[in-house]
Order: sequence, then structure tokens, then C-alpha cells
Amino acid sequence: MTNLSHPSFADPAVEQSRQRQMDVLVGYILLSGVVLSLALISAGLFWKFLQTGRLRLDYQVAGMNLFEFVTSEIRLAVQGQMRPRLLVNMGIAILMLTPFLRVLASMVYFFAVSKNWKYTLFTLFVLMVLTRSLFLR
Amino acid sequence: MISFHVLFPVAVVAGFVGAMSGMGGGIILIPALTLLGVSIKHAIAISILSVIATSSGSASAYVRDHITNLKVGMFLEMFTIVGALAGAAITLAISARPLYIAFGAVLLGSWLALLIVGHETWQAVTQQDPISRWLELEGSYPDLTLGQTIHYKARRAYIGAPLMFGAGMIAGLLGIGAGAVKVLIHDLVMGLPPKVSTTTSNLIIGVTALAGTSVYLAAGLISPGLAAPIILGVVLGAFLGTRLLVRLSNHSVRRFFLFILLILSVEMIIRGIRGA
Repeated sequence: MTNLSHPSFADPAVEQSRQRQMDVLVGYILLSGVVLSLALISAGLFWKFLQTGRLRLDYQVAGMNLFEFVTSEIRLAVQGQMRPRLLVNMGIAILMLTPFLRVLASMVYFFAVSKNWKYTLFTLFVLMVLTRSLFLR
Repeated sequence: MISFHVLFPVAVVAGFVGAMSGMGGGIILIPALTLLGVSIKHAIAISILSVIATSSGSASAYVRDHITNLKVGMFLEMFTIVGALAGAAITLAISARPLYIAFGAVLLGSWLALLIVGHETWQAVTQQDPISRWLELEGSYPDLTLGQTIHYKARRAYIGAPLMFGAGMIAGLLGIGAGAVKVLIHDLVMGLPPKVSTTTSNLIIGVTALAGTSVYLAAGLISPGLAAPIILGVVLGAFLGTRLLVRLSNHSVRRFFLFILLILSVEMIIRGIRGA
């Protein structure tokens, strides 16, 4: 079965090389998400250390979803009350968004590159459930 | 609040063990945090958040080594995330003692299961059922120990899928990656090679943990002050553990975890019964 617009699509070697490129992309998404998150959390802790001389953050948060978790601190920062926990909260939020982004990238891959409707639907389902859970309150 | 120089090293050890086993850092972290005086529900919430970090950190390396199977991962994630949401909701509803006992029981179950599986060598699936074929569950990976490319097919996805719902529920309920359970399903039910099952379970764990974390964040159980040093430590440990896994044989990895699992499971069950 040949596909004229994508003559190489049925070729397993091409399919495999695309899959490998996807592996590399997924790897970098995961890596950058974790690295950025760690950098922000470390910076927040270090800032706190400069302020107080201790590597300790004494705060808890009330129940909120991921977006309130970040926007509450951003709002304070805009009012000129930026504090270390802004960086820490952003770090935690980016960590949580990392697997989410990974799934999003997988969906784009299955949809646009490998044109695999089955797996596009599977990933879409996962994305929808995750999106819903991120808005839980 | 426990200080950084206590939390950080505990988290490093937890991350190291979690990455090497593909089980996530929770199995060490939760018992350790409760021993340090953190309530088990807070420990579970922080642990499942840190599991995102462990899993993503080590999965990034596995994926680029082309060991992970993305399709197997995506298919099974549909079931684990729903399970995780249900599991986390249960944890919010019940009291602490059954959580200790459930935690110990799951660890003991993983121990028994890994003990049995540990004596078997992987047998390639030759006959794939129509459903698993329709789901395109197959692949190949370069094995550094054997120095060759291993081709494999997965089978019985229709049994693996509902079982993964259960694995996801355990993950959400107890704040662990439940990697041992996932690896077991991959190995015994679906016939994946051990390295593919460990690394693919690692990928699934990240997304599953995210679903659970959302529930705990909404419930106010994620304490950033506690989370910050733990995330940093867990990722450092996971990084070191991952570098080791690719080089070690399946056998030595398993033997090391069997020992740790047994001690932790007995300890948690005793604490659940005593009500400490």
C-alpha cells in the first residue's frame, strides 16, 4: 500500500528513525522541565538563605489548583512584594507541567508526524483527564 | 519544620533507589518522612510530587537511550491516570492507620512478586494476540550488556490495561510510583523485556503521579517548604541511580531491591498495627 503524499511513510526504517527523533525530543522536554524546575527551587531556597541565613522555608499552602498556586505569588510580585516562594512555587508548577508537556508533544507527534489516529486519540484522552485534574479545586 | 540538612540527604537516597528500581523514590521517602514526624498524608502528597521529578529525570535519559516504548506507555497511561485520581481521592477520605498497613502490604506484595519473577529469564513473545497487534505494541532496543538489538512484541494488553488501572490507584493512594507493580504487569502479563518494562514504567509513572499530585495540591497537602529540599535531593539521587542502571545486569538490580523492600514493608505494617 503506497501513500503518494508520503512515499516513505510505510518504510519501517523511516518510521523507526522518526520514532527515535521523537524519543530525543521527549527526553529533552523531560530534562529541561526538571532542570528549570530545580533551578527555580534552588534559587528560591538560596534567596531565602540570603534573607534569613537559613535554608528553611516555613510555609504551607491552602488547597488550590496549579494556576492559583502560581498566580497568587505573581500577584504579590506585581504589587512589589516578590518573595522567595514565588520562585519555589514556579519551580513546583513547572515540574508538574513537565509530564503534561511530554504528553502534549507525544500527541503532536502521533497526529502530525506519524499520522496515527489511534494513538492521537489515546494521547488526547490522557491530555483531557490531566487538564481536568490540574483545574481541580 | 524539619531542616534542610536532614531532608536533603534522605531525599538523595530515596531518589537513588527509586531510579535504579524504576519504582520511584516514594518507597523510601514515605517511611523516612513519617519517621521524621511528618503526617502520612503529607508524606504521601510530597512523595507523589517528588515522583514526578524522579520519573521525569530518569525517564529523560532512558528515552534518549531508546529503551522506552512510547506506545506501550501512552496506551497504559490512559488507565493509570484514572486509577491515580481515584486512589488519591480515597486517601483524602480515610484515616492514617489503614494507609500504613496498605503501604506495607503493597511493598510486601511487590517483594514477593519480584522474588518470584527474579528467578525467571525473559522469554520473547512469539504469538501476539489480535488486540495487542492492533495496538501496535512492539519495538526494539539496543542492549548494552548483550551488545545487540533486542526485538520484542507485547501481548495480553486487554489484561494489562485493567491491571494498570489498579497500579495507578495504588500510586495515587500511597504516593508511590508503584513501579514494581507496573514492572510486574509488563513482565508477567505483557511479556516485555525487563529493561523495557522498567523504563517504560518510569515514563508512565510521571503522568500518573501528576494526576495524583493535582488532587493533593487541591486538598492543600502539598507543603512547598517541605517539597523544595525533597525535590532537589530526589532528583540528584535519581540522576546517580539512572547512570548506574544502564550498566548493571537485571539480576543485580533486582537482588538489591528485594532486600530493601522487605525491611520497609515489615516496618510499615508494624507501625500501622501499633497505630504509631
